[in-house]
Amino acid sequence: MTTLPFTRRRRRRRSELYKGLAFASPFLIGFTVFVAYPILASARYSFTDFNLFQAPHGVGFDNYRAMLTDDRFLKSLANTLYLTVIGVPLSIIIGLGGAHILNLPVRGRPLFRALVYLPTIVPVVVGGYLWRWLLNAQYGFVDRVLELLHVPTPLWLEDPNWTKPAIIMMSLWTVGGTMIIYLAALQEVPVELHEAAEIDGAGIWARFRYITWPTLTPVTLFQIIVTIIAFLQIFTQPYLLTQTRLNSSSGGPDDSMLSYTMYLFQNAFVFLKMGYASAMAWILFLITLAITALLLLSSKKWVHYGSR
Amino acid sequence: MKMQAFSRSRSVAVLAGAAVLSLALASCSGSTNTASSGGKTTISFSYLWGGPEGAAAEKIISEFNSSQSKIVVKGVSNPDMQKQLASMSSSSGSFDVSDNFGNNVGTWASKGVLAPLDDLLKTAGADTSDFVPSAMNQMKYKGKIYALPIAVHTMQLVYNKKLLQAAGVTPPKTTDELATAIAKLTKVDASGNITQLGLGNPDQSTSLTTLGYAFGGTWDGSSTTAPTPTPAEPGNVAALKFWQDNITNKYGPAKVTKFTAGWGQYMSPQDPFYTGKVAMVIEGEWQAVSIPKNAPKLQWGVAPIPVANSSLDGTTQLTASTLFIPANSQHKAEAATFLKYMTDKQAMLEFTKALGNLPARTSLLADPTYAAIPHMSAWLESLKSPNVKSLASAPYSAQYSTDLASAFDSVSRGTAAPQQAMDKVANQAKSYPMK
Amino acid sequence: MAPADPLVVEPTRREDARSGREWRPPVRRSGLLKTAGKWTTHRLLMAVLVIVFVFPFVVMVTSAFKNTGDIFHSPPRLLPSEWTWDNFTGAFHQIPVFRYLGNTLFISTMTVIGTVLTCPLVAYSLSKLQWRGRSALLAIVLATMMLPTQVTMIPIYLMWNALHGANTYWPLITPAFFGTPFLIFMIRQFLINVPDELIQAARMDGASELRVYWSIVLPLARPALATAAVFQFVWTWTDFLNPLIYLNDSSKYTLSIGLYAFFGQHDVAWGPLMAACVMFTLPALLIFIFGQRYFVGGISTGALK
Repeated sequence: MTTLPFTRRRRRRRSELYKGLAFASPFLIGFTVFVAYPILASARYSFTDFNLFQAPHGVGFDNYRAMLTDDRFLKSLANTLYLTVIGVPLSIIIGLGGAHILNLPVRGRPLFRALVYLPTIVPVVVGGYLWRWLLNAQYGFVDRVLELLHVPTPLWLEDPNWTKPAIIMMSLWTVGGTMIIYLAALQEVPVELHEAAEIDGAGIWARFRYITWPTLTPVTLFQIIVTIIAFLQIFTQPYLLTQTRLNSSSGGPDDSMLSYTMYLFQNAFVFLKMGYASAMAWILFLITLAITALLLLSSKKWVHYGSR
Repeated sequence: MKMQAFSRSRSVAVLAGAAVLSLALASCSGSTNTASSGGKTTISFSYLWGGPEGAAAEKIISEFNSSQSKIVVKGVSNPDMQKQLASMSSSSGSFDVSDNFGNNVGTWASKGVLAPLDDLLKTAGADTSDFVPSAMNQMKYKGKIYALPIAVHTMQLVYNKKLLQAAGVTPPKTTDELATAIAKLTKVDASGNITQLGLGNPDQSTSLTTLGYAFGGTWDGSSTTAPTPTPAEPGNVAALKFWQDNITNKYGPAKVTKFTAGWGQYMSPQDPFYTGKVAMVIEGEWQAVSIPKNAPKLQWGVAPIPVANSSLDGTTQLTASTLFIPANSQHKAEAATFLKYMTDKQAMLEFTKALGNLPARTSLLADPTYAAIPHMSAWLESLKSPNVKSLASAPYSAQYSTDLASAFDSVSRGTAAPQQAMDKVANQAKSYPMK
Repeated sequence: MAPADPLVVEPTRREDARSGREWRPPVRRSGLLKTAGKWTTHRLLMAVLVIVFVFPFVVMVTSAFKNTGDIFHSPPRLLPSEWTWDNFTGAFHQIPVFRYLGNTLFISTMTVIGTVLTCPLVAYSLSKLQWRGRSALLAIVLATMMLPTQVTMIPIYLMWNALHGANTYWPLITPAFFGTPFLIFMIRQFLINVPDELIQAARMDGASELRVYWSIVLPLARPALATAAVFQFVWTWTDFLNPLIYLNDSSKYTLSIGLYAFFGQHDVAWGPLMAACVMFTLPALLIFIFGQRYFVGGISTGALK
């Protein structure tokens, strides 16, 4: 590269800056209008009492204080954390295990991979009603299969203790996406290391732990973050599973299916407590930031970059 | 390079064509927004009714449209209650007239969602003198009218004659008799599964609040002009305890839930009451039209709600279906004219008859058209009782019903004791908006 | 140049360092029984996995063709005693399927247009242009991917309300014209692997950046654009929350909300509901069958790098 005089380089750099900004302008404008401004506005609304029909008026920290004594808020938070703490590890483990199975040398593999991935592109509304039907305590097939296996059959959507496992089961049905990602990642694992280890007498588990797993750690980090975020904001699945006639809002038996964002939505669009809902949104934002930051920090300990 | 440019512009053309095509498909709907054209004003009537009830509404609409030439009403069925509220929040307004239920009037009026109707109705020349008084109370907020009742509903005990005969039970008059009846009418098979339930709950909130009244309780205090939430009244708690003792805990919450989980669609031929899975229900007068249509072979009867003591005789819960004009409507005067038409005697008679609802005007109660519907007279009579109760229409009502629904749910599942559940609601009530 | 189908994976070819001939790992001779056992276990595992994931589909389709007696049969039977179209005709009568189809098609097409127009622009600035704010922008794009939608939901709703956008399609279509973080990132990853020589050459020849972008980069990026288009189409097609919040008139509903409203009105009419589900899934299924490689390729590209 030729060296240019100082001012020309400066001018060139500035024109590059303008070009970069110009091409990026749609995103920059969109970010300002649809992300930056709303986040700040949300913060402002969280300090007001605002019912959408009348002008907002400030109430200081009242909304945040009210959260601490609001039973349904605490319940929705607990429900969501339960779903996240149980759902995320299960998603990762099943995704990873499924990827290994899909990697086995069986004829017709591409078809099977496609079939396992299919649930992820099924419209979520369809999935919701389908699972509602499958989990019906009297006519549903899940209980029928359990019966045939001589396993006790819970009431699922009618039993407060089994509603969240039902939601997790429904979410796991779409774990095909994770499987495909892991499948692609598995192809990057150096085969000769596996062969060498096998010759040395290492068992399946040892081979996984010392060869496969390190290569998969970056993907796993990404998957964990993405899945946690998805579970923290889970809305459509419980919303559809608790839907009642005329769409009047419900949280399921004993509010056991009331997810955090469902309660947020209820506060905003049913009770018309936009201020309170904004406060809830901000708390969710902070929780998400905290978890992501923690994960990224901890990643130094267990993530190995550079597989080859 | 040229080839690529060509195929690129071709794909752009394809995309553009697809966009135009789908735009054409989508715009076949036609606009439902309000508009003014020529001498006529078009207003929009969005209603929660659907199916045959919606068809009845459309009939009234077309009659109105042909009866005069200044206003054209466009009706659309939008059965989603949450969306209804959201629509009224935008500054331009999606509809000019809509329907809802009486106990929401206070909440919505206090938030400025509804247009006050007193002056509008006077200009339109509407007669508001003979509406059922307890219904009219729900329509007012701070002394002003914010909605008009189009139909009222009361609850009675509806029972399956054959099942009662088989069990040797006569329709219960007191709550003690009700308990005995439930015990005799609930059947359990060899493996402990319920095959028939004595008393069902098609709408849990309505059933339990009505029972609360039947035990002498009250949900909104004793003053109709200054309601306050009173969930923990002894009568309310007694009603919930009755439910838990006689149904939930007697047969086991899991068994009851398992039984109710398998019920067919409400008011369809697979309705649990129509198919004999439930012997008695606390139901409204629309059943008088629904049962002959969906279960013509069912032999059924209607009896007054069983009460705790004779001073409460004739207790029933009244709810009202209302028509209102949202505050963001651009054509309030025309909407008021349509409102007057729909709540006038002729239209109200026709509409409520088609729906199988009770009319909201006391002058229509004696009309022979209703007597022709089997068993409707039982509900008509119930309106005359001095013990007709209704939930208040107050600023806190929307949240109160949600909290009560949660509490009822935990009581009927046996996860909370009645007093405990009601005390919790009373606690939540402390943060309710009162004005 | 279509991307290789990622579902069909070829093992990497290894070469002997000295001779250059292909090196194959030594084959271990296991006994016949052991091989047969392994072969069976593999097939069994695969079968179990696939059956578990496909079973719900089977239930959906068979239920759509059952009559009421079969649906409400306890214990439930998988296959209908007689196959009937009643549920489909019932659903058709109660849901204006073609209108909702048209609405959903319109919105989906518009968002695809928006995506294909804007995402590559931003991806280009993140990959082929050297400028000071580039890594900052990349960080912002990635961070936006992690944002929970509910945080911005209310102010955006209020904004559209003030602009009279409620109950129109604007709130559903406009955001796509400002780029979607995940798709921007995916196209960026693709563009990074595109060799710079053509671009440098064109710049040397004096072509404006826009010209370079339009005539050289975009055609090369076609596989990535196709992938982005497919993703965006399916996302919009199946979107639930946005139509739920913004569309109030039932005539404007998309298929998602149409199905939701159908359930809300009729509660548990399972037969027609399953039939409606089948009808709603079919287009997504077709797109998947024909666009399969784009889906899987796109996800792998986005997630791995």
